[in-house]
Amino acid sequence: MGLLSDPSLTPRGKFGRTLAKHSGKISLFFYIAGLAWFVCLSHPEFSHGTYLSENALSPGLVDPEIGQDSVRLAQTLYEELQRERTDHKSTTPHAWIAAKMHQIGLETHVHNFTLRYPFSAGKEYHGKNVYGILRAPRISSTEGVVYTAPYRAVNSVHTDITASVPMLLAFADFARKKNYWAKDLVFLVTEQEQLGMHAWLEAYHEGGIKDSPILRCGNLPARAGALQAALNLEIQDLDIDYIDVKIEGLNGQLPNLDMFNLVQRLTSRSGLSSGYKHTPRKKRRSNRDSLEDNLRHMVEMLKSQATGVPNGNHGLFHRYRIESLTLEAVKRTTNTNNSNRYGTALSLLKTVEGISRSLNNLLERFHQSYFFYILVQNDRFVSIGDYMPCLIALASPMFIKAFLLWLTTTSADDAAPEEEDTATHEERLPMHLPYISVLLYMVAALLLGFFCNTLPYSQHVRDYFNSMGVSTQWSVGLILAAQVLLGILLPLFYTLPEAGLELLHIGVLIFTGVALIVTGLLNFALGFILAVIISPVTILLQSEHVNGLRQKLTCIYTFLLNPMVVIYLLVLWLTLFEFPELALKDMAVRAISASLDAITYGLMDSIIYGNWLYTAIAAIYFPLWILYWTLALGRKSYAVTVDKKLN
Amino acid sequence: MEKRLLLLVALGGLTRYYLHSFQWIGERVEVSTPINSYKRVQEGIYLYENGIDPYIGDVVHELPIILVLLVRIFGAISSFVPLFYVLVDLLTATLLYKLAQKFVRSKLVEQKAEALEFAVGTEELQVQASDMDVIPRCVLLAYLFNPLSLLSCAGLTSTVFSNFLLALTLYFLMQRHLLPCVICLALETMRNLYPLVLIAPVVLVFAQRSKSSTTGAIGVLALFGAACLAITGLNYAVIHSWSFIDATLGFIFFYRDLQPNIGLFWYFFTEMFEHFRTMFLITFQMNATVLYLVPLSLKLRKEPLLLATVLIALMSIFRSYPSVGDVSFYLALLPLWRRCWKFMAHNFVVFCFFVVTLSMMPALWQLWIYSGSANANFYFGTTLAFSTGQIFLVTDLLFAHVKRDFCLRNGLKVYIDGKEAKIILE
Repeated sequence: MGLLSDPSLTPRGKFGRTLAKHSGKISLFFYIAGLAWFVCLSHPEFSHGTYLSENALSPGLVDPEIGQDSVRLAQTLYEELQRERTDHKSTTPHAWIAAKMHQIGLETHVHNFTLRYPFSAGKEYHGKNVYGILRAPRISSTEGVVYTAPYRAVNSVHTDITASVPMLLAFADFARKKNYWAKDLVFLVTEQEQLGMHAWLEAYHEGGIKDSPILRCGNLPARAGALQAALNLEIQDLDIDYIDVKIEGLNGQLPNLDMFNLVQRLTSRSGLSSGYKHTPRKKRRSNRDSLEDNLRHMVEMLKSQATGVPNGNHGLFHRYRIESLTLEAVKRTTNTNNSNRYGTALSLLKTVEGISRSLNNLLERFHQSYFFYILVQNDRFVSIGDYMPCLIALASPMFIKAFLLWLTTTSADDAAPEEEDTATHEERLPMHLPYISVLLYMVAALLLGFFCNTLPYSQHVRDYFNSMGVSTQWSVGLILAAQVLLGILLPLFYTLPEAGLELLHIGVLIFTGVALIVTGLLNFALGFILAVIISPVTILLQSEHVNGLRQKLTCIYTFLLNPMVVIYLLVLWLTLFEFPELALKDMAVRAISASLDAITYGLMDSIIYGNWLYTAIAAIYFPLWILYWTLALGRKSYAVTVDKKLN
Repeated sequence: MEKRLLLLVALGGLTRYYLHSFQWIGERVEVSTPINSYKRVQEGIYLYENGIDPYIGDVVHELPIILVLLVRIFGAISSFVPLFYVLVDLLTATLLYKLAQKFVRSKLVEQKAEALEFAVGTEELQVQASDMDVIPRCVLLAYLFNPLSLLSCAGLTSTVFSNFLLALTLYFLMQRHLLPCVICLALETMRNLYPLVLIAPVVLVFAQRSKSSTTGAIGVLALFGAACLAITGLNYAVIHSWSFIDATLGFIFFYRDLQPNIGLFWYFFTEMFEHFRTMFLITFQMNATVLYLVPLSLKLRKEPLLLATVLIALMSIFRSYPSVGDVSFYLALLPLWRRCWKFMAHNFVVFCFFVVTLSMMPALWQLWIYSGSANANFYFGTTLAFSTGQIFLVTDLLFAHVKRDFCLRNGLKVYIDGKEAKIILE
């Protein structure tokens, strides 16, 4: 006991004060420990081999029945579609797809949606999704599984994935002839990339009731019960080199690990080499990759999760608790043997069949295996219990440092008398901490973040800028730049009273710690990456003894951390690789407009899809930055006043 | 009240009124529980107006007289209902302010009488004239701008009325008005059951004033019982049915709704085997009511208001349907014990606990309910941590009070043979 009922009258601050002197070192230690832990995770000792928890899936229990005739059908459909594509350069051949679905015997419907672009006076985009439902003979449409294939028009900038639709239709044709389905099968062809998928899902689940004025999804004429799982096919060609499984969804959400395992097992069973992050492996559990490869996989996964943008149409399903992933079949580039050109197509169809049979067996929603994991390889993963310590190690020094600072600010007086005889009595009294002004200061910073979040969303502001003839990117940029400028100037407008900075420091540390933990819970990747870049400031920021170099370094680093600056630097870095031939000056100019584009995309993602990266950065991390900026600068003004006193 | 304070109250009101436009606040489980949610009040009003017994459907758990009062108010000012909630909350804040003023004044008088007993150098621990100003202002600020009370009021929860009734009870207790105090307490007890324990400080205060403390105590208890009975009768007269008793007190005692909240009940009662339910129900309810009542009343018989604070805190931790509004009420009472703060060793830790757990709750709720990736254990973990933090706070306050009491009489530093002594608890 003793923790709650410690009878001593004076708090033992001595130990704390000694520690407080080394708070920077403690933080540094935790920082390095957190990073080291993360690197260690790539070692096979720290990761587990994947296994299937859900017995109902029983992958590979049935022999694949799909045969060469389905491949031939896919081939004919592919050739037909190629002919259609010469007529439809920029649109989807809806009629052809609907006719084929109808011919197969699916209950075919068309779903219309309209996007009213939130900027530039509401330009309207129309889209159409075609979907066919295969009603399960064994159930009354209470559950369903979705198979989707995005269609890309000829003039699309993305990779050509025309083969997806023929494969989907070939599989639908095969499934139509079977009577064992216990869940409705929905075959969906979407257009306009993720927008079509998003509109279809909204329409499926909300039925047009909660339509926003921006994206009008309307209602669907037919449904197939509660969707259990979804499989998205992105097939580049009928001749496949390997399969890449994409899992990262909206806001970094992941499908259940069982779903991923299922796909990995069945691909390897049907003889396709399948991989994760474009490292195909022929055999599962064959060899353990090198640490660098493992680490690269983990970092790649975190990178794509952190943005919160799904890396395929599957990502939008996660929002509705539907487990889904994308099978990206990568085209073979080296044309070796032409004889077995479509052998791989058969394997792929067998895989899809196997997946559908396993999903058909599901008795309840996926709930068994992990939802939080980092994949090290396609058959090894790190679970939440193992990777969370990195984030905790990065976030906990904030609380520790805040506590030590709190000890020194509230009881700085006890040890003083022995050393400083000159100290007057008044100075030894506990400092009266200016709670209210510090709190108000934090509220002011948060308010700026709040404006960043509301102004670009407001229709009036958008209309105003549009009527002024300012382009979308620039209007968003201007609004945000104004906030950032205010944020930069805030510490100059208002100087905190004495001891205010110490208190602000404590408050900011707690705020950062909480923000990182909560972000990390919702999206580990984002939380971790933010922690990695923010922690150095907390290490650098000193409560006492100011020395010139360190203070300058803190200032510079804090300035670089400004969200706008970070985005600019990131974009600049990317342009450096994309266009190495440009002169540095051109590149810097081009990066400005590119980063404005990036911000607008972030905003658009937030408005249309509900990606909260923009919201989190603007509402939480931007105010935090203002507070750090105050702390980094505030030291200076404080030092100046001390100097004046001495003189 | 001064102009500046009125300005603060107005600002608090504006913030509340602005926040109420965010619909989602009232839908959060941390803010709304089955007994205080605004939706259920609306439902009750609708049922009552259509001549259906509101209590047969397990939706409405508000007392009939309050419900009828709300029917009248909603009917008269249907478009200003949120304003009504805000005004009640502001009134609570004002009452707390007045209560704090009265409390400090009486403490100063009390202290003057005991001044000779105090050790030298303990001015820091004594209530000072400046506290006349500081403490009430702190209390006012703590209630007006506590995010938890802002949320509770913005969610238009009935906790606003509970807090108002509790504040009234404490106010009349400080003013030594027996009858209104007991009536308010009885009303709140009938609404929420747990305030029953507050009869202890009431008895302590009023029994001391009567000639014989035993008869005084019995008198107060009898009065309280009579008030409860009268309120029950009044309720029956309003609705002509006894169904309300089971729908209010029974609903609270038997814990029928397992909707998650910030308390500790829901997880245990979803997890446990059905045949243990009665036993655990009694254990949990005893823990929330009588378990701490006797020892605390004996220890704190000289400080009835501290007793009341601690009891309110304990019941908002252990009650069956706690909400953040309940927590905000006792947090607002903490500044009354400003002179004990010196000994509160865990305040920073408790603060961090509060901030971290309260911010994690919505995140884990999101992961559990919407994403389906986390589960109930995650959410329960945070509510458990939140309750632990609160218990730390209460224990800390009690210990700080004991230490202050000791130091007031023995000096801040105890010396034995010229050395500073270390005090050990045995």
